[in-house]
Amino acid sequence: MQRIEESANGGPQLEKGIEERRRGPRSPASIQDGGGASRPQGEVTEGCRLPVLRRNQDNEDEWPLAEILSVKDISGRKLFYVHYIDFNKRLDEWVTHDRLDLKKIQFPKKEAKTPTKNGLPGSRPSSPEREVKRKVEVVSPATPVPASTETTQASVFPQNGSARRAVAAQPGRKRKSNCLGTDEDSQDSSDGIPSAPRMTGSLVSDRSHDDIITRMKNIECIELGRHRLKPWYFSPYPQELTTLPVLYLCEFCLKYVKSLKCLQRHLTKCDLRHPPGNEIYRKGTISFFEIDGRKNKSYSQNLCLLAKCFLDHKTLYYDTDPFLFYVMTEYDCKGFHIVGYFSKEKESTEDYNVACILTLPPYQRRGYGKLLIEFSYELSKVEGKTGTPEKPLSDLGLLSYRSYWSQTILEILMNLKSENGERPQITINEISEITSIKKEDVISTLQYLNLINYYKGQYILTLSEDIVDGHERAMLKRILRIDSKCLHFTPKDWSKRGKW
Amino acid sequence: MSKLSFRARALDAAKPLPIYRGKDMPDLNDCVSINRAVPQMPTGMEKEEESEHHLQRAISAQQVFREKKESMVIPVPEAESNVNYYNRLYKGEFKQPKQFIHIQPFNLDNEQPDYDMDSEDETLLNRLNRKMEIKPLQFEIMIDRLEKASSNQLVTLQEAKLLLNEDDYLIKAVYDYWVRKRKNCRGPSLIPQIKQEKRDGSTNNDPYVAFRRRTEKMQTRKNRKNDEASYEKMLKLRREFSRAITILEMIKRREKTKRELLHLTLEVVEKRYHLGDYGGEILNEVKLNRSDKEIITPATLHNGNHHKIQECKIKHPHHPSLKEEASDVRQKKKYPKKPKLESVITPQQPTTEPLPVISKSDIKQYDFHSSDEDDFPQIPSPVSEPEEENDPDGSCAFRRRVGCQYYAPRLDQTNYSCENSELAELDKLRHRHCLTTLTVPRRCIGFARRRIGRGGRVIMDRISTEHDPLLKQIDPEMLNSFSSSSQTVDFSSNFSRTNASNKHCENKLSLSEILSNIRSCRLQCFQPRLLNLQDSDSEECTSRKPGQTVNNKRVSAASVALLNTSKNGISVTGGITEEQFQTHQQQLVQMQRQQLAQLQQKQQSQHSSQQMHPKAQGTSTSDCMSKTLDSASAHFAASAVVSAPAPSRSEVTKEQNTTHNNINGVVQPSGTSKTLYSTNMALSSSPGISAVQLVRTVGHSTTNHLIPALCTSSPQTLPMNNSCLTNAVHLNNVSVVSPVNVHINTRTSAPSPTALKLATVAASMDRVPKVTPSSAISSITRENHEPERLGLNGIAETTVAMEVT
Repeated sequence: MQRIEESANGGPQLEKGIEERRRGPRSPASIQDGGGASRPQGEVTEGCRLPVLRRNQDNEDEWPLAEILSVKDISGRKLFYVHYIDFNKRLDEWVTHDRLDLKKIQFPKKEAKTPTKNGLPGSRPSSPEREVKRKVEVVSPATPVPASTETTQASVFPQNGSARRAVAAQPGRKRKSNCLGTDEDSQDSSDGIPSAPRMTGSLVSDRSHDDIITRMKNIECIELGRHRLKPWYFSPYPQELTTLPVLYLCEFCLKYVKSLKCLQRHLTKCDLRHPPGNEIYRKGTISFFEIDGRKNKSYSQNLCLLAKCFLDHKTLYYDTDPFLFYVMTEYDCKGFHIVGYFSKEKESTEDYNVACILTLPPYQRRGYGKLLIEFSYELSKVEGKTGTPEKPLSDLGLLSYRSYWSQTILEILMNLKSENGERPQITINEISEITSIKKEDVISTLQYLNLINYYKGQYILTLSEDIVDGHERAMLKRILRIDSKCLHFTPKDWSKRGKW
Repeated sequence: MSKLSFRARALDAAKPLPIYRGKDMPDLNDCVSINRAVPQMPTGMEKEEESEHHLQRAISAQQVFREKKESMVIPVPEAESNVNYYNRLYKGEFKQPKQFIHIQPFNLDNEQPDYDMDSEDETLLNRLNRKMEIKPLQFEIMIDRLEKASSNQLVTLQEAKLLLNEDDYLIKAVYDYWVRKRKNCRGPSLIPQIKQEKRDGSTNNDPYVAFRRRTEKMQTRKNRKNDEASYEKMLKLRREFSRAITILEMIKRREKTKRELLHLTLEVVEKRYHLGDYGGEILNEVKLNRSDKEIITPATLHNGNHHKIQECKIKHPHHPSLKEEASDVRQKKKYPKKPKLESVITPQQPTTEPLPVISKSDIKQYDFHSSDEDDFPQIPSPVSEPEEENDPDGSCAFRRRVGCQYYAPRLDQTNYSCENSELAELDKLRHRHCLTTLTVPRRCIGFARRRIGRGGRVIMDRISTEHDPLLKQIDPEMLNSFSSSSQTVDFSSNFSRTNASNKHCENKLSLSEILSNIRSCRLQCFQPRLLNLQDSDSEECTSRKPGQTVNNKRVSAASVALLNTSKNGISVTGGITEEQFQTHQQQLVQMQRQQLAQLQQKQQSQHSSQQMHPKAQGTSTSDCMSKTLDSASAHFAASAVVSAPAPSRSEVTKEQNTTHNNINGVVQPSGTSKTLYSTNMALSSSPGISAVQLVRTVGHSTTNHLIPALCTSSPQTLPMNNSCLTNAVHLNNVSVVSPVNVHINTRTSAPSPTALKLATVAASMDRVPKVTPSSAISSITRENHEPERLGLNGIAETTVAMEVT
């Protein structure tokens, strides 16, 4: 971050032509200022869009277009919370003024300020199209969108601007009162009936959480055991803890405390060295613990709070009762350290075998995610069911699942032996049964891999050489596997119990 | 394109798909990618996120390279894993157990405080530690308690002191610190907590509120069956709860009444104290005035417990001497051990010595009994007496428990009229045994009585007599042939009963004699009957003819029944005319007079002892009879005394109707006797007492008739009672009566000690009047039934012997 700032000191390139468009009342002067020394930041309000400097993984500077979601003033220095358009929210960040390219600033449209149903529009940075569509329906009769909004971005812009403006009245990011009612608005239901989120599942597929507060990360840093994690998303930790530079978590019970001292004190009282559940799998250092969301509420809630920091669509609206939590741990001499987890509805009406799934960031890209997925299907195999993860998938979730599905299915296809000289063949149902992957996911994976072809009047599966090679290479890297022999799991029939 | 023009069939998941390797596909170009024919599956992602730059880049990279490329992964915020103080923070090591970790659900919540001390607290602690010792955990517990006790409002210092079990100074210091800290705290609590939902729904959209309760049921459909069952269960639960409420309300009412009584008693005592009425004279005076009115009330009262109060009140004016005596007796025995007793008795039983009128024990007494059924100061039975101490079982059939207070048998019924005592005599019939025949196997089992055990099981209590071998030969068919006419039906069972005389008690009886006895209805005999022949007509008939009833059904109530047959010459099965009835009544009165005369003539000790023999025999004779019938027979006796036959008849009718239910010797009494009986059972389950009480109730139900009758026809009865009630009489009576009673009662599996107690402990005031008339009766009947008596004696002796062994 600091390095980025330093590199940004050179200042944005202002030479590029400034697009002429309507501006906010105070804007023109500041733009000419160039360096923005005098008062340009005063004009950068919530809802503005402008290129913001960020450094990509290859350590190159980029100027992606970003939207200002919030502005705060810390000891006279303004900070802007920016969302990079078409980037995932997890990359949103607080930036200093010098990283903004004010020359290309797009101001929110005044007209767009027209409130939506509830007076507070919901908006989502990454969903401009939908916003516009809805906006037009609502707004156009009264205030036609000016034709001067030329660019595609601009056409999107007024809409989002309205949201920004609405919240701009309040400084900082605490606008609790403001967000009341937003939720109702943002409920997707076309009939406009405000309602609580659905009670099944653990993900919100829509914009029900789409108010300005939940769009912004609220925890700066979490210390968990050896790790310091930078949260990706909002998590409803107690509000008084959100201002802390670091939130300390007990590595084993996941209790949150405000300071290292408190954590020290807590550790004198907490004797947990593993997740507080039953170990149902162990191979090598990897163990899985099953935790009942009803029986062990405090751990389940703490786990959910932590997970929410890294799962955008996860909802913590309802209690954890109907879920089981499978926590994957890695053992060392200090105890069983949480690596990741997935939650699972005790009874799923939609064949979900996973509700939320997460590998904690320090363990990502090391095969643990696939291990979690594999484990979830292993449980489904024991249950004798096929399953699918709850939707929506995140980008990482999609990639992980696709990768797992591809590898699992390809493994089966490639291992099929031809019987008595005939060509090996298999039905989709068979694949589904063997793997416990739901049929639809099998088909979509086959499609994604482009294996299904129509040949001589019938569907065939073609394994091209690059697919085979790619698979073999990938499998070489996949060292961590679930050993079903190490699983000690008896599924419970939750439907026979009174309530989960 | 032409190749795509055909319409591809839908992809069939059940259809086998042949797998072609790339090298097997010579004509790969002929192969048509059918992706467009198969509907594209959704990725499962949010639309707008699907288009995100990094994802698309990663997907395309994967499509191209078939593996992940480091630069193409989706970037995420950084994470560090270099917390250098980790090892200092997480001290110690944890060894992986060999077994899978299994956690006990209840081990999870330990009692550790949720509050964790921060560095600010540490400063305070260091400061406090200069003056006193306070450990961090102790401090945390204090704060934890304070936090958890205060919701919106902070607990006050006073509450804090109650909450915290610490030194006052420490509490003050910590409390003040806590209040200050709490004020500066940004959050709602010093223990950071997830925001809770509010019921009013105002927090529905608060993003910081999490883990709301699920208000709706998740899947009602699945549980529909369950719902119905649980609904019914809920209804049941509700019913039961409401019943509990009713009971509690009744208890409340009872306790209120008790309190009222206590207050009234206290008031009375206080008033007396102020008046200086230490001897109880004024009280007696007052009571005397009231008694005329009150004397009627007992008749309407059913509950033995409650009318006793009135009885006591009534009795006082009539028998002051008796009362004093009785209390004297009691005092001697109980005072040393139960000092309370005195004060209990005082308000009601004036004693000669001045006693502390309002004593604490007086009040305590009420407290002590607060959960008891009895409102009035019950007379506790002596804890132990010399005789009892010798006898391990004491005078009670049950073993007395330490710390338990038992009540002495009620003595007050003695003071009733002499019909009562007569009734009491008859009352013994309750415990009598009858010749009984079983349905299956169909045979005669000898003398037995039937009772209903727990759960409604029918229990036959058998006694052995020397007729047993003889009785076994009795063919039920023989009985059947003639008994149907005199049978009565127990509606609830397959046993019916024929009447019998007390002949069976004779020492030497042949089978034919027994049969003839049965035939002539002198011997009671139960036998099964299949048809409910008994209809209302026959019932009425029998009830109208008490003599017949007695003979037919019950009781045969030895002496009375015998009286009828022998003296009046009335055929056993025949009815009693009003005339006969009158004569019978006159005879009874005469009997009483004779008895009285005898008693007065002779020295009490000797005479009463002599009288007791016939009496006891009479009683025992009747004791051999079925036990149920006594109330009815008592009624009969009572009605016999009453000059006006009409009311008595109705009375009898009524009572007999009720006793029809009891016929088989099973006590299923209804009306007064029922209440009484159950009360007795509850008290001691001792038939001895119950007999006495039953007499009393019967007496009550007939008081309206009895008392005037008493006053007019036999004015001597009351004095007679009084005269009988001297200590000497009692003691002598005891010596004679008790053995008989003992054996009788034991035979009936009833506690003999109670009977003994009746005679000994409780000053046997009830016994004497009972004894006298019955003994008079038996003395009259002696000539006719000499052998019976002998037989009885024999039985009595043998049973006593049996008991001893």
